[in-house]
Amino acid sequence: MEMSANQELILETNELTKKLGGKPVVKAVNMQIRRGDIYGFLGPNGAGKTTTIRMLLGLAKPTAGSIRIFGKDIRKMRLAILRKVGSLVEYPSYYGHLTATENLEAVRRLLGVPKSRIDEVLSIVRLTKEAKRPVRGFSLGMKQRLGIATALLGDPELLVLDEPTNGLDPAGIQEIRELIKSLPQTSGVTILISSHLLSEVEQMATRVGIISKGELIYEDSIHRLREQAQGRVRLGVSNPESAWRLLLSHGYPVGWENGRLTVAKADDRTVASIVARLVKQDFEVYRVEEETASLESIFLQMTGTEGSL
Amino acid sequence: MMLRILSSEFLKIRKKLIWLLVAAGPIGVVALQAVNYGVRYDYLVAGKETAKLWSGLIGNVSMLALPALMVGLALVASMTAGIEHQMNAWKLTLALPVRKRQVFAGKFLLTALLLLISCTLLVPLTVALGLALGFDGPIPYGDLLTNAYYPYLAAMPFIALQAWLSVTMANQTLPLTIGIVGMIVSMFAGGRFPDWVPYKWPQLVNASHEPLYSVTAGVALGLVVFVAGMAEFVRKDVK
Repeated sequence: MEMSANQELILETNELTKKLGGKPVVKAVNMQIRRGDIYGFLGPNGAGKTTTIRMLLGLAKPTAGSIRIFGKDIRKMRLAILRKVGSLVEYPSYYGHLTATENLEAVRRLLGVPKSRIDEVLSIVRLTKEAKRPVRGFSLGMKQRLGIATALLGDPELLVLDEPTNGLDPAGIQEIRELIKSLPQTSGVTILISSHLLSEVEQMATRVGIISKGELIYEDSIHRLREQAQGRVRLGVSNPESAWRLLLSHGYPVGWENGRLTVAKADDRTVASIVARLVKQDFEVYRVEEETASLESIFLQMTGTEGSL
Repeated sequence: MMLRILSSEFLKIRKKLIWLLVAAGPIGVVALQAVNYGVRYDYLVAGKETAKLWSGLIGNVSMLALPALMVGLALVASMTAGIEHQMNAWKLTLALPVRKRQVFAGKFLLTALLLLISCTLLVPLTVALGLALGFDGPIPYGDLLTNAYYPYLAAMPFIALQAWLSVTMANQTLPLTIGIVGMIVSMFAGGRFPDWVPYKWPQLVNASHEPLYSVTAGVALGLVVFVAGMAEFVRKDVK
């Protein structure tokens, strides 16, 4: 699904900067989230994701730059904005000695939403059966789900989830992912979800922003990112060197690598005409194979880090 | 909004040890005096007139209640703030549509109210001890109430200070140390310190022999400390 440019901006930062101890950890970030987006906010650990999110929620004050959410400046209208925002920052916060219901009730009293919301959000995250147990005994996945339930309590228009799958086992990750994917359909909410793993958000995000060393180095639809990730086509032919010369002389952008011909970003038509040309000139074409660069490797290239992935 | 915050705060301390502490403070103080009177009954009680007996008992209870209040306020402040520190729940609360200064005020009020409950408990417990020791009427309720609430009000700067320290510091070592040192200082503050030293105020002793001066000073400085703490809390980024 391609985003049209006139879609309403729900969140917008302008040259957002945060210095901690004189060191910039978020540098002039311009971020745009549109209504209905599932925005994957990606970056290696320590890239500035959580610091950015803290500023978006008014938990930390920007050193410079501004944030507008629902068209309002966070510095001036923090309460009005937060009334329509649900959030889960880093690991979940909860009161271990209280039950899931009591935890939600503690937040509900501050939000002033009807009591029935507690049962509703518990059922969305499928914790209804565990509602009367102290949260202390919950698994990390259950705590994380409770965190999401808490975020949903105020029926938010924007849901901010910071690393919601961090530390979960694969089954837990899958469960949270399904849950998040199902949300926009059920409640029409816009979601900002951060992760240090592209693979975690790639299946649900409609747009991605990639942050590295405090700078937003990429922001576009996941669709575009996939296009970038589209690999090249490799051709195995007889007498490759003269085949290469022939193709070059006809103006095809072919490369030469380990005795194979490579064509970068080749569309179907180009590939077909290359093959036709080769066959016509009596070259034998053994194989035409697509070599897809994974999104992950593009991400790695962009962020220039490997360790944290 | 403050009411909503307070109701949420009281929900959060449900099933917490804090309630035990709130009750144990005054019970402990009165129980110690019960032992004192039990052991020294002849010396303390025998042959004295009723009014003297009651005022003696109230004085003895106050003597123990003061250090208990001074250390209790540090403990209660630390425990009420600890609920948030423990699981780092500040970021949960402060990302909700509530004003930061109201969240701070909520913690301070919770601490102050819990201590008020403790001080209030002193009254029926002291009366019960007096009656158990065979003191007969009239029960001097006026004195009982002033001895329960005046020191509490005069200790307001310390309640505000401990709430401030405990809320803004995740590590409770420093707040608790300051609280315990404060208790010790206040125990010896009586004759040695000039009247302007706040540690003297909870004893209600001053040159003009007017306890209300100590109370007024306490409430006034308490307000100042509270506002200063709130300002710092609002300014600081949430961890």
